Amino acid sequence: MKTIRKALALVLALCIVLTLAACSTGSKDPDPTKAPDPTKAPEPAQSEPANEPAGLAANLVLATYPVGKMTDEATVKALIADFNAVYPDVKIDLVYLDYTNGDQTVNGMIEANNAPDLIFEGPERLVANWGAKGYLVDLKDLIPAGTYDVTVGSCTNAEGAVYELPVCQTAHCMGINKDLFTQADAMQYINEDTHTWKSTSDFLKAVEAVAAIHPNVGVVFCGGQGGDQGNRALVTNMYGGHYTNDSFTRYEANCAENVKALQALYDVNGIEFDSGIVGGDEINLFCNGTLAMATCWNVGAAKSDTQGKTANFEIFPMAFPTESGDPVLQGGIWGFGIFDNGDAAKVEAAKAFAKFMTEDEAQYKKIVEATGYWATRDVSGLYAGDEYEDLMTEYGKLVPFMGPYYQITLGWPEARTAWWNALQRIGNGGDVQTELDAFAAEANAAAEAAEAG
Amino acid sequence: MAKSKPGSMSRALVRRETISGYLFLLPSLVFFLTFVVYPMVMCVITSLTNATMSAGGTSDFIGLKNYVDLFQDKTFLKALVNTVIIVVVSVPTVCVFSLWVGARIYNMKNWACSAFRVIFYLPVVTGSVAVTVVWKWIYHYYNGVLNYVGTNLGLWEKNINWLGNSQFALGCIILILFTTSVGQPIVLYVSALGNVDQTLVEAAQVDGATDLQVFWQVKWPQIMPTTLYILVITTINSFQCFALIQLLTSGGPEHATDTVMYYIYYSAFTLYKYGYANAMGVILALCIAALSAVQFKLAKSDS
Amino acid sequence: MNTGVKRTSVYRTITLILIIVVAAVIFLFPLYWILTGAFKTPASVNSSTPEWWPSEWTMRNFNELFSKRSAPLWELHVPLSEWFTSDHSQVVLLSGPVLPAAFRWLINTVFMSVAAMVLTCGTAALAGYALAKKRFIGRAVLFSLIVCAMALPKQVILIPLLREMDGLHLTNTLWSVIFPVVGWPFGVFLMKQFAEGIPGEILEAARIDGGGELKTFTTIVFPMIKPGVGALAIFTFINTWNDYFMQLLMLTGTNVLSMPLGISKMMGEFGQDYGLLMAGAALASVPIIIVFLVFQKYFTKGITMGAVKG
Repeated sequence: MKTIRKALALVLALCIVLTLAACSTGSKDPDPTKAPDPTKAPEPAQSEPANEPAGLAANLVLATYPVGKMTDEATVKALIADFNAVYPDVKIDLVYLDYTNGDQTVNGMIEANNAPDLIFEGPERLVANWGAKGYLVDLKDLIPAGTYDVTVGSCTNAEGAVYELPVCQTAHCMGINKDLFTQADAMQYINEDTHTWKSTSDFLKAVEAVAAIHPNVGVVFCGGQGGDQGNRALVTNMYGGHYTNDSFTRYEANCAENVKALQALYDVNGIEFDSGIVGGDEINLFCNGTLAMATCWNVGAAKSDTQGKTANFEIFPMAFPTESGDPVLQGGIWGFGIFDNGDAAKVEAAKAFAKFMTEDEAQYKKIVEATGYWATRDVSGLYAGDEYEDLMTEYGKLVPFMGPYYQITLGWPEARTAWWNALQRIGNGGDVQTELDAFAAEANAAAEAAEAG
Repeated sequence: MAKSKPGSMSRALVRRETISGYLFLLPSLVFFLTFVVYPMVMCVITSLTNATMSAGGTSDFIGLKNYVDLFQDKTFLKALVNTVIIVVVSVPTVCVFSLWVGARIYNMKNWACSAFRVIFYLPVVTGSVAVTVVWKWIYHYYNGVLNYVGTNLGLWEKNINWLGNSQFALGCIILILFTTSVGQPIVLYVSALGNVDQTLVEAAQVDGATDLQVFWQVKWPQIMPTTLYILVITTINSFQCFALIQLLTSGGPEHATDTVMYYIYYSAFTLYKYGYANAMGVILALCIAALSAVQFKLAKSDS
Repeated sequence: MNTGVKRTSVYRTITLILIIVVAAVIFLFPLYWILTGAFKTPASVNSSTPEWWPSEWTMRNFNELFSKRSAPLWELHVPLSEWFTSDHSQVVLLSGPVLPAAFRWLINTVFMSVAAMVLTCGTAALAGYALAKKRFIGRAVLFSLIVCAMALPKQVILIPLLREMDGLHLTNTLWSVIFPVVGWPFGVFLMKQFAEGIPGEILEAARIDGGGELKTFTTIVFPMIKPGVGALAIFTFINTWNDYFMQLLMLTGTNVLSMPLGISKMMGEFGQDYGLLMAGAALASVPIIIVFLVFQKYFTKGITMGAVKG
């Protein structure tokens, strides 16, 4: 009894000490009573953008999604240190996000009036979601000269507001297990020099050929909060279908070409619809040799310690199969968004940070290399002398295939979930046309609601 | 329960009792009112609006529309059914299994009893996230242990996509919930059985009662309070199972593992339908309140 | 008894023990897999054939865990300072050495569980006693409210709670996870059931002896409901320890995370680093398992439900 009393006393004492230590940390947002005013112009109603670094003082929160090394503490803190050398009075705290819960975390922060000031992500979240809901600041005046027009266009909403200051981009592609494909004599269906399939029917033949020697060739994974670019691109490329209309306002994934493509994927030997996994799982399965190809591949995965680097076979990057020989790859564009938390000084400081990272070429190269992808304007000597220089060159061949960034269509988060549900039903034997129609109806309802809201 | 009528007490006494009663209640009431009752009231109010996430956006009062919509929402009804299935399956199995294990191990040698107790308690203390990740791998379609053992023993022919198949997914979730729920009941039963009055047991044995008779007629009534407590905490735990679903299936495939709790979270933070999510919360709260009340009444009449 | 019966009963015992052993193996396996997985290389974690025993032991996962995030081990804040600073940040008075954040996460998790446990047990014991033994106005209403709310999942009040935490300047603090647990009325209900068992005569005697209300509570009531407090303490501790949902929504900054949440925020762009996850889980579960092993005698002896009744 004595020991337990002592132990209890200890626990209690510890508890009291810790109560004082109230383990929690600063990084809170401005006055909660001051909700951001949507009628106000997005520009901060303050004087000139201060060129005088000394004038800027604020406590900011930077939230980053794991793009390359952007959630690696040492890397990000080094970038912040560069910034603080010029702006010593701007303190930046970090919030790391992940793709499983990141969206919900940010939404929770917004709801608790605790939104980050800066956020590093892509247009589908910045433009189509938080930007569309009125939380972000227009960053038009921060776009550095020479930024590719296509890229800027992808970061701009229908009214012309730029909600993402682009930093880096990549083309999402496929990866195949070259050893297995060679063994199955399936490399004959591939143009090795251009990393393209000879045709969609050749792609299907290759899958059948590999299926003859290896149980699982590929999967159509049907879940997750990301990774949908993989099977979206596969489906739309195969017979030249499309996912949204040209002006990115409505979902048209139920077109005849997509129906044909999904039916072909359903019918072919070696490809299964799997509701149990998400994009990341597909990559893991590909890297450990269970699957012979991945549709959710890109250069970042190839460089990953826990994925690409664990593979004991040659990974060969590929464009998606097409009939026309003209693949349209899904781009990934990441950059900064700035939340309007109702405090002009914070917006100002956040803009200074975003500008600092992107304007000066030397600094810009640092952050691009931290993301592990390509620049959004012409920059010389990127990755020169880097251990991945060759890999970047090889995968770089696919970047010109990048197509329009239709993920900025309104209602994207709802549409993504509807897409997974439709794929799950198709995988369970649902009629492809019916299910894609259901998808389009659901997604368009969300788009309309977002438009009205 | 001793019932003394307030009317029979003097007014001064009533006042004194009321003041001291509320003083004792005060610390607890502050937390209860601030962090449960107030949000619940806000929840009811929001459920009557079309609130969503938007900067500076206002919400309009739309009456009971959310509630009407709810009962036409197939996903919600499915989630409701799934929630009921989880509770109805897991509560009795957890109770029966833990009683059975408790009865088997409580009179084992000290070290053996301790060892088993610890083993069954492990999944509880290991943390739901870690345990879930391990189970995800056990259920893995392509190279999970379950399929490896099952196909090698010839129990089933080809690999089964446990979590990806709407027939099996909910069962898989319930199994994990089961392993993370039985630890505490077993510990409780072991101690309750250890505290059973031995003289009564011996007396019954002298009268020639079989082991089974001794158990049901002597021990069972004595461990009844423990059983009730276990029933209540298991019900609470089953309703709150969230991490499992969030980490394993996100409600899929085809909403086969959606529960009301998960669907609330999903409606609020993926679909941004705050009013709708809150309406769901109100319905769930009503169901649970009714269930708790019934459970309480039953427990009262039992003792 | 004849030997035939004896033999069948021996067989039965053996089968039963066998079943328990098999079940125990199933329960042990996740922990085994976590502990070995923590020392496996990424390739063997991701291997398509299960590696029952690590072919190559590596500290890589722990290196990642310890090198990728850092945080001060502890921080001392000026109490209530968040009410006075312009951006409602807390003023840090003193902070500990900057170490790998995993240690801070562990401290955070323990702190949340212990604080929730202590606060819940304290407030619930007081309230339970009052509800059981005091005849005050509004008692019946209050008790019905408590019974109705005691099984309420927190998801139900999710959004109002988030907004409320903002109003109280508790966002992104550990208290935002602790307080809703304390407010949850299950503890009060349980304590009331225990306190019912206290004979009224004893209380009456204490009153006549002239002991104050609080003295009566500490010297007479509390010792009598202690077994119940033990049960509630364990239940609250474990529930807070595993309360992934509240942590997920309430905690965002690196300094306030819990272990599982911290690990999940270290996951890369392309899915899960299971080795890292296992390392974190091992680090978090080993201490609590040791505590359980050491104290299990007290854990289990203290709890008797004899006093619980309706």
